[in-house]
Amino acid sequence: MAVETMTVEVVEAAAATAGGFKAIGAGLAVGLAGMGTGLAQLGIGGAAVGATAENKEMFGLALLFTVIPETVVIFGLVVALLLLFT
Amino acid sequence: MFKSQRMSKLLIAASKDQLEPVVRELYRHNVYHIEDFVEQEMESIEGFRIGKPIEGASGISSDLLRIRSLSNIIGLKKGESGTGAVQKTKALSASIDKELPEIEKEITALAEQKNGLENKLREAGMKVAELEPFAKLQMDLSLLRGYDGFTVFAGHIPADVELPVNSEKYFTSEVHGNLLVAVVPAEKTSEVDKFLMEEGFSTIVVPSEDGTAEENISRYDHEITRLHEEIGKIEEQISAQKEKHAQFLVACEELLTADVERAEAPLRFATSDETFVTEGWLPSKKVEGLISDLDKVCGGKVYATELEVDYEHDTIPVEYDNPDFAKPTEALMDIYSRPKYSEFDPTLLVAIVFPIFFGFILGDIGYGLILLVVSFGLRKFVKDNVVGNQLLNVLRNASIMSILFGIAYSEFLGFACPWDPLWISRHFNIGAGHGGHGPDAILLLIISAWIGILHITLGRSLHVRNAIVEIHPGKHRNKVVFAQLGWIFVMWGILFLLWSMFAMPLMPDLSGFAPLVAGINIFGIIGALLIAVGIIGIGRESGLELMELPTIISHVLSYARLAAVGLSSVAIAAVTNYISIGMMIEPAMADFGLLSIVLIIVGIIVFLIGHILNTVLGLIGGGLHSIRLHYVEFFTKFYKGGGKKYEPFGIIRKFTED
Repeated sequence: MAVETMTVEVVEAAAATAGGFKAIGAGLAVGLAGMGTGLAQLGIGGAAVGATAENKEMFGLALLFTVIPETVVIFGLVVALLLLFT
Repeated sequence: MFKSQRMSKLLIAASKDQLEPVVRELYRHNVYHIEDFVEQEMESIEGFRIGKPIEGASGISSDLLRIRSLSNIIGLKKGESGTGAVQKTKALSASIDKELPEIEKEITALAEQKNGLENKLREAGMKVAELEPFAKLQMDLSLLRGYDGFTVFAGHIPADVELPVNSEKYFTSEVHGNLLVAVVPAEKTSEVDKFLMEEGFSTIVVPSEDGTAEENISRYDHEITRLHEEIGKIEEQISAQKEKHAQFLVACEELLTADVERAEAPLRFATSDETFVTEGWLPSKKVEGLISDLDKVCGGKVYATELEVDYEHDTIPVEYDNPDFAKPTEALMDIYSRPKYSEFDPTLLVAIVFPIFFGFILGDIGYGLILLVVSFGLRKFVKDNVVGNQLLNVLRNASIMSILFGIAYSEFLGFACPWDPLWISRHFNIGAGHGGHGPDAILLLIISAWIGILHITLGRSLHVRNAIVEIHPGKHRNKVVFAQLGWIFVMWGILFLLWSMFAMPLMPDLSGFAPLVAGINIFGIIGALLIAVGIIGIGRESGLELMELPTIISHVLSYARLAAVGLSSVAIAAVTNYISIGMMIEPAMADFGLLSIVLIIVGIIVFLIGHILNTVLGLIGGGLHSIRLHYVEFFTKFYKGGGKKYEPFGIIRKFTED
C-alpha cells in the first residue's frame, strides 16, 4: 500500500518536473532566439536608419532588410509552441 | 489586372508658334508623360537643342515665390484646403496683379511688427537674465561702477571666501551659482584677481542700469508681459488675414504653379530655330482623344503620331491597372518597387492575400473594431496625402478581415465569445476553473505551413510565367523555366518524403503503404525522384543556386509566423484579462471594501494599458509580418520591380477652373 502511494507520488513529481523543464526549454528557445535576432537587427537597423535619413525612398527596402532576421525568433517561438502544446 | 496599363509612345512636332497652345492642351489633359530630351543621347534628331522657357516664366516664378512666402508667414500649410467656391482662372490671373501687392503690404507689415516685438522680447529676456544674479543685492547698481581708486569684482563663486586684502565684500548663496561682489583698492586689483581665479571665480558683467536689480527685473517683467500681449494681438490680426486671404492664396498658388510648369515645359523638349519636337508616353486608350484635341487647338498645324515601342531600349513608364478594391494596395507595391512594364503585376494578389494574412494573425473582433475606427479617425490627419489615404484603406480592409477571423476564432479582446470557435481554437484558457485545453497550436502551425507551401508554389509558377512571356524562346528560357520548376519539385519532393514517413494532421497520410526499397514506400521514392530532378534543374541554371536549397525549408517555416505571432497576441490579451479581471477586479468585487475601489481602478488601468499595447503590437505584428511574407518570401520568387512611375504632365486642379 505504502509502496503504491510512493510510486504515484514519484510519477506525479516526475511529470511536474518534466513540465517544468519544458517550460524552461520554451523560455530559452524564445529568449535566446530573440537575443540572436536582436544582435542581427542591431547592425541592420542602424544602417537602415542611416540609409533612410540619407534618402527617404530607401524606407521600404530598409524596413525589409531590418525584418529579415525576425525569422530566427519566429523559429524560437515555433519550437516553444511545439514544446508547450504537444 | 495583373498587367500595367498599355502605354503608347507619342511624337509631337510643330512650329514654335504652336508651342504655347500645345503645352496648354497637354497640361489640360494631364495624361502625357514627357520623355525628357537629353542633347547627347538622341542622335536621331541631331541639331536640336533643349528649349527655352516660354516668355514671362521668370515673372511668374517670382510671383509664385511671393505667394509661397506669404502663405508661410500666415501659416497656411500646403494641402490646407479652403472651402470657398472654385475660382475662374481668367478672373483670378487678372486680380493677381491688383490684389497681391496690397495683401503683401498688409501681411509683411504685420510680420515686420511681429519681428520687431519679438526682438524687443528677446532683449528684455536677456536683460532679465543679466540682472538675475543681482536680485538679492539690495543696492543701487549704479554704485557698482564709475570708480577711479577702486575696482569692483562681481561674479559667481563656488563658496564664500575671505579676501587677502582690505575690502568691502558682499556674498549671497541665494541666487543660482552664488554671487560675490567685492570692492578693493585699485592697486590690489591683480593680487585679488589672481586669488579669486584660484577660488574658481567667474566674472559677470554688472548691468548698466540704475536702481536695484529687483526694481529693474520687475520693470522688465512688466515689459515682457506687455510685449506678449502685443504679439498676441498681432498674431490675431495675422490669423484674421489668413481667414480672409487663404482662399485667394491657395487658388493663386495653384494657378501660378500650373503657369510655371507650363512655362518650363519646353526645357524638356527638343527645339530647333523654328520648330520643336517632344516624345512622351500616355495610356493607349487616350491617344486618339489627345491627338484630335491637339489638332483642334492648333488648327491642324501640328504633327502628332504614335511611334512604335522599342521594348528593348525604351523605359516605359508604368501606371497600375487594378480593380478599385485593389488600388490602395498599390501603395504597398510602391514601397517595395513598382513593377516593370512587361512584368506580371501582383498587386491584386497582394490585395487579396494581405488582409487574409492580417486577419489570420490578428483575428479578434475587438482589435479589428479598434483598428477600423483608427483607420477612419486618422483620415483627418493625412488629408489629401494620396499614399496616406491608400495605406489607411489597406488598414480598413485588413481590420474588416480581422473582425471576420475574430468571429471564426470566437475572440473579443482575448475573451471567448458566446459561440464555439469554428474549427480552430486559439483560446489559452488561462487561470483556474476553465480546465479546457490550450490553443490548437499544432493545427495552426500546419495550416501556416500549407499557406507557405501554396504561396511559394504560386510565386515560383509566376516566375515560370514571366520567363515564358519575357524571354525569347531558346536554351536560356528553357533553363530558367526548368530551374523554377526544379525549386517546386524539390519542395514537393520533400513533402512527399515526409508524408510517406510520418502521419501528420491536415496532411495526406501516405505512411501506410508497404515499403519497397530500404523501408521507403512508393510515395517516398516519388518524393526522392522529384528532389533529384529538381536539383538537376536548379543546378543546370546555376550551380551556386544549390547553396540556397535550405531556403526551401526556411521559407516555408517562415510562414509559421502566421500562427506564432497570432498566438502570442492572443496570449498577451489573455494574460492582460487574467491579471486585470481575474486577479484584481473579481476578487475586489467578491469582497467589497475600501481597498476594493483602489484594486478596481488599478485593474482597469492594467486592462487599458495591456490592450492598448497589444493593439499596437497587433498592428505591427499583423501588418509588418504579413507584408514581410510578401516582400521576402513571395516577391523574391518572381518579382523584380524597378519600373518607372508614370507621371503625367499636368495637375488635378482643386481651386481653379478655366
